[in-house]
Amino acid sequence: MSRFFNSMRDGVGFDLILVGAALLFLLVLAGLPLVYNVLMSFQQVDMFTLGSLFRPWAGFDNYVAVVQQPEFWLVTKNTLIFVFASMAGQFVLGFALAVFFAQNFPGAATIRGLFLVSWVMPGLVVGAIWSWILAGDFGVLNTILKALGLIDGTIFWKSDPAYSIWAVVIANIWLGLAFNMLLLSVGLAAIPRDLYEAAELDGANAFQRFWTITLPMMRSTIGAVLSLGLIGTLQQFDLFPAITEGGPANTSTVAGYWSWQMSFQLYDFAKGATISVMMFLLVLFASIIYVRSTRHEVRG
Amino acid sequence: MTRPYIPWLLLALALVLAAFYLFPLYWMYVTSLKSGSEIFANPPTFWPVAPDPSVYSSVWTRRTMQTFLGNSVFIASGVTAITVILGTGCAYVLARYRSVWVDIGLFLILMLQVLPASVMITPLFVGFNQIGLLNFPREAVILAAAAKSMPFFVVLVRATFMSVPRELEEAALVDGNSRVGAFFSIVLPLARNGILVCAILTFMSSFGEYIYSKSIIQDSSLQPASVGLSGFLGPNSTDWNAIMAYSAIYVTPILAVFVLLQRRIVSGLTSGALK
Amino acid sequence: MKLKHLGLMAGVALGAMGMAAPAMAQVTLKIWSIDGNDRVGIADTYSKEFDEANEDIVVEYRAIPFDDLVNETLRAFATGNAPDIVSFDNPDFALFSSRGAMLDITDRVAASEIIKPENYFEGPLNSVSWDGKLFGIPKYTDTIGVFYNKDLFAKAGITEPPKTWAEFTEYAEKLTDPANNVYGATFSARAGEEGTFQFLPIIQMSGGGYDNVNTEGAAAVLDLWKKMVDNGWASKDVLSLGQWDSTGTFNSGNAAMAISGPWEIDRMVEDAKFDWGVALLPTIEEGGDRSSALGGFDWGIMSTTKHPDEAFRALEYFAAQDGRIFEEFGNIPARSDIELPVTGVALKDAALVVFQEQLQYAQPRGPHPEWQKISKAIYDAMQAALTGQMSSKDALDQAQATIKGILG
Repeated sequence: MSRFFNSMRDGVGFDLILVGAALLFLLVLAGLPLVYNVLMSFQQVDMFTLGSLFRPWAGFDNYVAVVQQPEFWLVTKNTLIFVFASMAGQFVLGFALAVFFAQNFPGAATIRGLFLVSWVMPGLVVGAIWSWILAGDFGVLNTILKALGLIDGTIFWKSDPAYSIWAVVIANIWLGLAFNMLLLSVGLAAIPRDLYEAAELDGANAFQRFWTITLPMMRSTIGAVLSLGLIGTLQQFDLFPAITEGGPANTSTVAGYWSWQMSFQLYDFAKGATISVMMFLLVLFASIIYVRSTRHEVRG
Repeated sequence: MTRPYIPWLLLALALVLAAFYLFPLYWMYVTSLKSGSEIFANPPTFWPVAPDPSVYSSVWTRRTMQTFLGNSVFIASGVTAITVILGTGCAYVLARYRSVWVDIGLFLILMLQVLPASVMITPLFVGFNQIGLLNFPREAVILAAAAKSMPFFVVLVRATFMSVPRELEEAALVDGNSRVGAFFSIVLPLARNGILVCAILTFMSSFGEYIYSKSIIQDSSLQPASVGLSGFLGPNSTDWNAIMAYSAIYVTPILAVFVLLQRRIVSGLTSGALK
Repeated sequence: MKLKHLGLMAGVALGAMGMAAPAMAQVTLKIWSIDGNDRVGIADTYSKEFDEANEDIVVEYRAIPFDDLVNETLRAFATGNAPDIVSFDNPDFALFSSRGAMLDITDRVAASEIIKPENYFEGPLNSVSWDGKLFGIPKYTDTIGVFYNKDLFAKAGITEPPKTWAEFTEYAEKLTDPANNVYGATFSARAGEEGTFQFLPIIQMSGGGYDNVNTEGAAAVLDLWKKMVDNGWASKDVLSLGQWDSTGTFNSGNAAMAISGPWEIDRMVEDAKFDWGVALLPTIEEGGDRSSALGGFDWGIMSTTKHPDEAFRALEYFAAQDGRIFEEFGNIPARSDIELPVTGVALKDAALVVFQEQLQYAQPRGPHPEWQKISKAIYDAMQAALTGQMSSKDALDQAQATIKGILG
């Protein structure tokens, strides 16, 4: 018995308690709901059985029905565009800004701080603001682009099927930039300065230094940023109802929003759960990337 | 070095980029000062013709923003407390070992993030109802939202712990400290900055918590500011200058705190604990 | 003597307790509605009044945003936390009444002195009926028509508002003035209930209905709408603007005609700096069948209530106040026995007369328990056609196939 307490105070037991408490908390508050959703995707659900676990079994009917929806492939395509374009934009711009602000110039740290405001902005507010900026006739983005001579006519960001998904992507890049830049800055700062100095002495130019030192040293950070970015992007919800509502004609509906729409606008809870379980696969993929990336970590 | 003007060029570029990036915020403030019809003017005006700040006081009182913001602070504080208490230890352990179990732990934590809050709310509501937590709606929201913010916190704080030299902890153990003692007297103080910064970021992002609050908290005197804002956004009741004024009142305090603290936040995260 | 006193006092005390008893046994009624979120509305006002007027009843009123009302109620119903009284948008009502979630009040209404079904307009009454039984009462009603800018009409040399959709399109072209940022027309073809709300009347006036959407007339009008959007006579943003925002562009002078309803009047009187009028929704051919959308909310009692008698008393109280709703809240009562007062604001009174006429042609959406899916099929088709992804005919055919699947 005393060995048990000793281990809690002074051994593996201590570690287990620390991890266990957090995991237990997550399992109850995130794990159980996950199970509920998976279960629901195999059941017939209506308003009377929403509160219970045992419902008529439906097998894979819900899955078949979801795939047979006329908008299924459109939504899949939109989801891929949204996820990859958002992540690419956030990551590339975030990386560029992180590298830029890692340079030594007056006010670098202060101005970099300003770029983090989108982190603390509630998604609902960001959606409302961007919806306003992107509006076709009275939107200020068009006015600016026209003044700069970049476009001739008005671009109907929210109403043109060719642009609607990009409207949400733009807002989402803005929203996620802070997070990407912050994490990448942390990674950059962790690279020892002397590595660069040595490379410079060896005559490596800036590009070579970036390629041979920065990127390899940042591997774990990049893995974390990308996988967390993927999860964050798939979970992005607030922007859709605020900006396009998935329209026009579903051209900006992505899986997360579609799932919500099924459950909470069309009241087809089983199909909503089914779509969310399908998204699960994508996140599974992201988690594997992340966990693998941590293998390359170096402890300082 | 040889070209002293380069830093100033970079500064100028940085300012241009920042102005570009912060434009949406500017637009929020400007729109809030416009009249109902000027908002719909085409082309839009970049500065309100007749700025009307009275919308701020009317929104503040008519919308009982004091109560809403108080609730937001309450919820964000609770979420931060739970996240920090449970997440710090977890991050520490996951940073300390390098084994397949750590992989599994990290994997689990990320997997539990899979479902968007909008999908999680129905089962959570059902579960909270079963155990009677719906009678304490703000506390219920705190629990649900903490589960949502925990994974990001763990990942970030884990990185901080990685930067604490292992040798220091081992030296403390050799000196006769217990694991608990070494954790609290050596490791935690060294990682303090990083943890503090992550706590602030958690606080700020849960200040905007919306989906759980809107479903779980029915009594409007207990709802946070995000739910109050959504009350505006129904069809046929959109009133953009008031929405923007509300948004401005909502985010300005966090922005102000953020701008004041940002140097520390950034350096706390970027410099690690010791470097 | 003393004893007598004691007895008296005991009697008084008992009496007092007897008096106190009903007050102690207070009944709590939970009422949910969208009113009171951003401005004072019908439900919050009357709930408070009813609460104050009745010692034995405590009303707990909760305002819920429009988009969340049905969800919140579904979830609460499934977990046994349902409110006693709830007010739904009329097409959402059947989702609940068809599944036995609403209390059958047919008999109570038959016995009521205050609520008389024959006083209500047919459309609104249909929305609260299911299977020949009555599950609620209409709260108010509204519809849509055409607002037009008389100054711009005069400038373009047009004297009368459009009578047919072809005329509407023709005028939209004439009224469009890109130099001054004026579109000929604006409407809401949004991906949501508002889109269906504005387009379904066209299907109906072409002889169709929600169960028969692929009529030739509807496809022809949809082609006209597309023509307006393609040529810039209407903004492309009609695909994402709600009615309130869309009409906002009319008020600021950026659109010469707007399709919307009486809820716009008060703001228009204040904001519009030009002379305007309201006309009935155009028809497909001159003198053709008329139709318009039927909007408005309904009251109902949920079947899980523990206090049906008190809840019905509340409904009776609400119905008794119908005469006040136009004056105080700008909503039109769904009743034929109420004479609307003249407000003295000329534009407002003139607009109201037109909307009252329009209401005679208003047809309900549904009622159908899966209305939301039917509605999505309709607005998806409308959007697919307007964005050129499908021809109007094909889009409506696809919607028809989807709807057929839903209706079974």
